[in-house]
Amino acid sequence: MARFVAGLRASGVRVSIAESEDAWRAVEHIGVTDRRLFYLTLRSTLVKEAEDFPIFDELFPLYFGTDVPPLLNPQAELNEEEQEMLRNALQQLADELSELLSWLLSGQGPTEEELQDLAEQAGMQNADAPYQAQWYARRMQRLLGWEQLEKVLEMLWEMLAQMGMDPETLARLQQQVAQNQEALGEQLEQFAGQQIQDNRAEQWRHRRETAHDLMQRSFSSLNEHELDVLRDQVRRLAARLRSRAALRQKRGKRGKLDTKATIRANLKYGGVPLELRLRRKRRKPKLVMFLDVSTSMRPVAEFFLRLLYQLQDQVQKSRSFAYIDHLEDVTADLKTQTMEGAVQTVLTKLPPGYYSTDFGNSLRQFTSEHLSTVDQRTTVIVLGDARNNYRDPALDAFAEISKRARRVIWMTPEYSAQWGTGDSDMLEYVPLCTEVFQVRNLNQLANAIDNMLAS
Amino acid sequence: MFESVGNVKDCLAEQQYIASDEIATVVYLAQKLGKPLLLEGPAGVGKTELAKAVSGALNQPLVRLQCYEGLDESKALYEWEYAKQMLYTQLLRDKLSDLLAEAETLAEAADRLAAEEDVFFSERFLLARPLLKAISANEPTVLLIDEIDRADAEFEAFLLEVLSDFQVSIPEIGTIRATYHPTVFLTSNNTRELSEALKRRCLYIYIDYPTVDQELEIVQLKVPELSPKLAQQAVEAVHSLRNMDLKKNPSVSETLDWARALVTLNASSLDREVVENTLTVLLKYEADVARARRILRGDRGTDTGGSRSPRNW
Repeated sequence: MARFVAGLRASGVRVSIAESEDAWRAVEHIGVTDRRLFYLTLRSTLVKEAEDFPIFDELFPLYFGTDVPPLLNPQAELNEEEQEMLRNALQQLADELSELLSWLLSGQGPTEEELQDLAEQAGMQNADAPYQAQWYARRMQRLLGWEQLEKVLEMLWEMLAQMGMDPETLARLQQQVAQNQEALGEQLEQFAGQQIQDNRAEQWRHRRETAHDLMQRSFSSLNEHELDVLRDQVRRLAARLRSRAALRQKRGKRGKLDTKATIRANLKYGGVPLELRLRRKRRKPKLVMFLDVSTSMRPVAEFFLRLLYQLQDQVQKSRSFAYIDHLEDVTADLKTQTMEGAVQTVLTKLPPGYYSTDFGNSLRQFTSEHLSTVDQRTTVIVLGDARNNYRDPALDAFAEISKRARRVIWMTPEYSAQWGTGDSDMLEYVPLCTEVFQVRNLNQLANAIDNMLAS
Repeated sequence: MFESVGNVKDCLAEQQYIASDEIATVVYLAQKLGKPLLLEGPAGVGKTELAKAVSGALNQPLVRLQCYEGLDESKALYEWEYAKQMLYTQLLRDKLSDLLAEAETLAEAADRLAAEEDVFFSERFLLARPLLKAISANEPTVLLIDEIDRADAEFEAFLLEVLSDFQVSIPEIGTIRATYHPTVFLTSNNTRELSEALKRRCLYIYIDYPTVDQELEIVQLKVPELSPKLAQQAVEAVHSLRNMDLKKNPSVSETLDWARALVTLNASSLDREVVENTLTVLLKYEADVARARRILRGDRGTDTGGSRSPRNW
């Protein structure tokens, strides 16, 4: 069961130690005889969010076995003579398959160790994708000599018939062996599935140790695998940001006097207002986002979107525009699809290729078409490096947006020393912004979003 | 105390609550492990009723705390009855001056007054709110904390503290420990995410809309006057409504209301007129009602006016 919990954690279900303890205690009470009760018990103690139920349902049969029938012992029904005959016949057959045959004919399946050995031979040390389970199971079968099994069995039956075994007994023997064959096949598959899960759990543990370091490294230096690790971290990061936002809300002291609450709180002082209660009305920000999705900025944009997607409940309304050389409204895509799909759609609308960033053009497009979305409650976020390839930076358009909006936040991956160098118009944009953040790595990005939610 | 999962089911059935295997198991576990039970699910599927049924089955009083935004400690735990204290002070003013008359110095007077302090901060003036009631009860109780997702995060943190120790310390009186730990139920409509710490402490169950058979059983139990055939049609109709993309899906309680409405109207079959007239019992948004009516009319191209099975919607 401990492995099951590890497997759940590797698949993204957050199970704490206290909960796994509860599961143990609960199972003590309920017992393991009734499979359905066992399933329900584990589910109610280990999984606390309805979205995690499918993952649980997927992993449960892998660890606690579907009702695989145990292997039958065909030899039990043979008498002395017949057993003798069987042994003789087996001795005469090729002994590559002796292991397999002994399993099928004695009713004793492979031990845990033998299965482990087999798995190693099949190369399962690095297997980590659940769909590979069947493939590996087949491989293990091949290693055992499954394909020759049919022929060898036929030879066995012939030999036994020649030795004079009773045809009825022979038929029964054949049937039982066939059943055992099936059961063994299932057992192998299940074992393969379990091994894969265990591998994943190992990897996950390893990942967690490195994720922390990865968050410090700049986006441009990460390869695809490392980006994947970070993607898993996003949810946790979002939870942290959310709780920080909640704490901030609690401690915020701004607001007008709330007379009702004040009087109520001061009844113990006879109505004398010794303690003031303030009305804490915090409005969630409305966002308008400009995302540079040119190749260099793509990972940054992606993580920004992911974090924001998780934090939707902290934001009242958001409109997103992706740009390279022109603007595309991607709000609808982000709303209607899952995170993966949305990111893909955004990226396909503005496919990578050699065309250069032109923020100025995008700004002009925005002011002519969408300026009404920016009002005095809006926070405008620009995610880009302000490099316009020596084209018109459209400062007047930007100034207009800046005047209308409550705040303008610029997030750039560049160091401040790089601003203004080459084709960067950063130094011209900066005076028009309320705040500028550097977002080279995930830590800084999270920090920037935290700050954005703060005001 | 429940003896087994089967026992739970039977006891709840006696209380007119049809519990699925899942619900019975988790209720049994919650009691055995002494952990609170978090019930999540859409509105109207029977979360509150479960707590009431368990309270009835165990024969323990139900203490209910309804949560809302801005709920704080004074409304949930305890409060001093200021008004009463003031009143008593005023009325006892004469007696008080008699008592203090013999005092020579101010310090002595203060001491005398301090000796009488316990009068004004005693249990007499303590207004016990639901949580304190559940903790200080002389018999085991069932504590229902309804719609915890409507309370704010601070209240959750405070609740966590109470649920872990089941003791309250009132500065003036002392610490009140629970003699019997109450069975705690928390319900949530999932309007916001609850804090992880609270979720960790509870056992979790998601109660979804029942299947056709389960709902039929419930209808037959609660509204026995409805003919089985009509009940079947009604339940199937409600299920087809739930498959439509409505703003608010009809819940189990609305199905029961509808069943009662059909009984009251003495409807013999589920024909178009009856359905159109009673649609507002099921659907509470005008947009939904209009949509359902449209679909109803749209499909009835060859309406014979007789009793058509609503499966043809």
